[in-house]
Amino acid sequence: MSLSAWVHVHYDEVGPVRWLAFALEVVAATVLFSLMLLTCVDVTGRYLFANSLDGATELTEIGLAIMLFAEMPVVTWRGGHVVVDILDRVLGSPVVKALGLLAALVISTSMYFLGVRIFELAERSLRRGVETEYLGIPTGYIVEYIAVMSWFTALGMITYGIYRILTTQPK
Amino acid sequence: ETVLHVGTWLPPTNPQNAVVWPTWAKWVEEATEGRVRVEIQDGLGHPKTLFQLVEDGVIDASFSYHGYVPGRFELPQAVEQPGLGVSAEAASVALWRTYDKYFKQSNEFAGLEVIGMFTHGPGYIHSKEPITSWEQIKGKKIRIGGGVQSVLGERMGITPVAAPAPKVYEMLQQGVIDGVFLPMGEQKALRLNEVAPNVTLLPGGMYLGSFSIFMNPDVLADLDPKDREAILSVSGEKLSQMAGKAWDAIDAEGYKVAQESGVNLIEVKETDPMAREFYSMIKGMKEEWVESVADRGIDAKAAIDELWSIARDYESGKN
Amino acid sequence: MSVVLLGFAVLLLLILVVRMPIAFAMGLVGFFGFAALQGLEFGNLTDFRWSGVLSMASYRVIDTVQEYSLSVIPLFILMGNLVTRSGLSQELYHVSNAFLGHRKGGLSMATVVACGGFSAICGSSLATSATMARVAMPPMRKYGYSDGLAAASIAAGGTLGILIPPSVILVIYGLLTESSIRELFAAGFIPGMLGILLYLAAVRYVVWRNPEHGPAGDKMAWPERLQALKGVWGVLVLFTVVMGGIYLGIFTPTEAAGIGAGGAFIIALARRRLSLAILFDTLTDTARTSAMLFGVVIGALIFSDFINRAGLPDALLSLVTGLEVTPIMVILVILAIYIVLGMVFESLSMMLLTVPVFYPLVANLGFDLVWFGIVVVVVTEISLITPPVGMNVFVLSAVLRDVKTGTIFKGVTPFWCADIVRLALIVFFAQISLFLPQLLYR
Ligand code: NA
Ligand code: NA
Repeated sequence: MSLSAWVHVHYDEVGPVRWLAFALEVVAATVLFSLMLLTCVDVTGRYLFANSLDGATELTEIGLAIMLFAEMPVVTWRGGHVVVDILDRVLGSPVVKALGLLAALVISTSMYFLGVRIFELAERSLRRGVETEYLGIPTGYIVEYIAVMSWFTALGMITYGIYRILTTQPK
Repeated sequence: ETVLHVGTWLPPTNPQNAVVWPTWAKWVEEATEGRVRVEIQDGLGHPKTLFQLVEDGVIDASFSYHGYVPGRFELPQAVEQPGLGVSAEAASVALWRTYDKYFKQSNEFAGLEVIGMFTHGPGYIHSKEPITSWEQIKGKKIRIGGGVQSVLGERMGITPVAAPAPKVYEMLQQGVIDGVFLPMGEQKALRLNEVAPNVTLLPGGMYLGSFSIFMNPDVLADLDPKDREAILSVSGEKLSQMAGKAWDAIDAEGYKVAQESGVNLIEVKETDPMAREFYSMIKGMKEEWVESVADRGIDAKAAIDELWSIARDYESGKN
Repeated sequence: MSVVLLGFAVLLLLILVVRMPIAFAMGLVGFFGFAALQGLEFGNLTDFRWSGVLSMASYRVIDTVQEYSLSVIPLFILMGNLVTRSGLSQELYHVSNAFLGHRKGGLSMATVVACGGFSAICGSSLATSATMARVAMPPMRKYGYSDGLAAASIAAGGTLGILIPPSVILVIYGLLTESSIRELFAAGFIPGMLGILLYLAAVRYVVWRNPEHGPAGDKMAWPERLQALKGVWGVLVLFTVVMGGIYLGIFTPTEAAGIGAGGAFIIALARRRLSLAILFDTLTDTARTSAMLFGVVIGALIFSDFINRAGLPDALLSLVTGLEVTPIMVILVILAIYIVLGMVFESLSMMLLTVPVFYPLVANLGFDLVWFGIVVVVVTEISLITPPVGMNVFVLSAVLRDVKTGTIFKGVTPFWCADIVRLALIVFFAQISLFLPQLLYR
């Protein structure tokens, strides 16, 4: 199967959003796989070579952030966050749809404002030269990434997320 | 009545929570004749974030460990350098005076009103196997807390393992690490006596770790001038000294617990080869610190020399 | 105090009626509740200093997604997913079926036992239920189990993860109260086993009431059973490596998650079950589940910031001390408070919030703090399956997209009752917890 055909089968999104989702998930998957390898290499190194990987903890922390926030926009616009659906049958599908739109609005607004503040905090941290202990990586860059991906989550939700709610029939 | 929201961390039994905050709260209430009340709150997240939560006005005051924010707080490391060999009380008073005279002018504490500075007690080697020479520690897996400890670890030739302090017990018990650098109080607080039955006590300890106590400057400015003065009058050196003393007390308790539970306390004498080798091992670290803070715009050489002489004078005056 | 009650009411409204995702509902109520405590009113919406509250929420996001100890969540989920993909889950259930399947509800029982086994290598309940959901749900469905019983046995079995050592929560309790961690670990063992037995009884009860929930399978002869055992060597090797590694001190439980995932990867490779596409699918699936879970944890933390600032812990303490009753009554009142709090809190934040408040009181009354630790952990476990906010149930509904949370909560009821029975036993018979630590260390 060609890559294009595979992506078409595995991603429900439409048009370019399909490729965007794929790209973000490639990042998340690669980082997650590296996190696994990192721990194995670190532990092996500690016993076989009496030398653990400098900054393995830091790399794990950074990797965790990158993975989670690469995945966040996709999970969000797919409506993947955990919802209590006890009253669904009572409410009926038009109401559920309307509530979905309301949630979409709330989610994108909060992610937008959160992103603004996170970006400001990132800049402040860069200005002050805060860096990680062993590798000396400026922590502000990771925080900037989190801010940008928060905005991206907001944007994805207010556009494709809403499109998806309007076009899919709830089961 | 004004309420000051103070954010804290560490277990309730830690001297900071059992002694320092309650004492300061009492001082503040007395000095302001009850117009300002202190409320203590726990569980606000990682201690490194407390610097920011105070700056942004989420809470009004707090304390934190400088080593948690590498790159930002380089100046207080003057007190952490190996070889100072004094108690937390002496180091805290000296650190406060040096902060007041030198470090205050730098940008490191921008956005914060520092009202106290202190250190924990001297750090020692707690280990599973007895360590009586530097040969024995080479290649051993030792948990270190960063900062000066990393440099020390490098010079000793250990395999450093990074981990938060609460994990130390489990890691020692399981043998993931062979030892740890920590002050004596942790024999009791982290129950190291159960899992690290050997402590190598170099004379005066190997290093110190520094903390600051700080307030939101706007909160302080918005107070009635009378109350502001009152709060400041029970802070600064008075607060720093009290904190250092409280942290020394927990070390004494830890020492007692270690003794009672039969921990092997290896007291290295000033004249032992191990101590003499230690002094040559740490040669140049002070100078390296002076160089590392060249961009901070203060006379670092004068600052560290003054800090060390105040600390040692205070220590000898205490006895 | 009224602001706390209002906060709880709005939260329940948002979650249950407005159908807001849990993560965002908790985050929003926490955010605006905190802002209200800082002086936000309808009149000052525009001149309110928003940057403070925004900082509080922002740092919860920034710090949580970079928290080293939480890296066990994606890695243990990945391990479970890889074990499932390598076809081991079918074989595991083939074995369970061989030994227990001829009983009514046998696969559910096998699930509970397997959860107990997995708990012995994992310090987190959420990771246990997420992993076991992948492994145990497909076979139970294949054998015609009702969704309610199948999912509930995983959700309940998953709660064992924080009692059977190693347990991250017990370590945190030990550090908060300065009680011995190795004694706590020893103390958790028998109550954990008791939990498994009572859950098995709960399964028996469910199939006794309605045999259709967990149909009996065919009884297999011993040669067949032994034959089936051969199929699970991979799981056994993996579990032995992970468990043995932790107990022998080759790596920490956090590292064990990475090693376990690596081991599962090698097993899947060796069995030729992994193509690049399947690997990619497994990884992204794990990443998606992790993103949802972290969302909820962050929301819970922001909410707890609000509750904490509103002074709930202090109010509880004065409530308990004001009662003037016998010590054991105080304990029962504390437990009642825990069960109520357990409806809305996630285990770690409940622990962090309440233990510092209660333990000095408990120690003053002359109770053993190791015993109290086990009591607290058991009651915290119960919170994981208590509606409306039961984290283990949400994890399951996140993993099993087509099972409604309502179905799981309904199915969980008998297990919840089993937990209450266990709690009563542990409270009134302190020796259940204290026997092992006294034998080993005192
Ligand atoms: Na466990
Ligand atoms: Na609950």
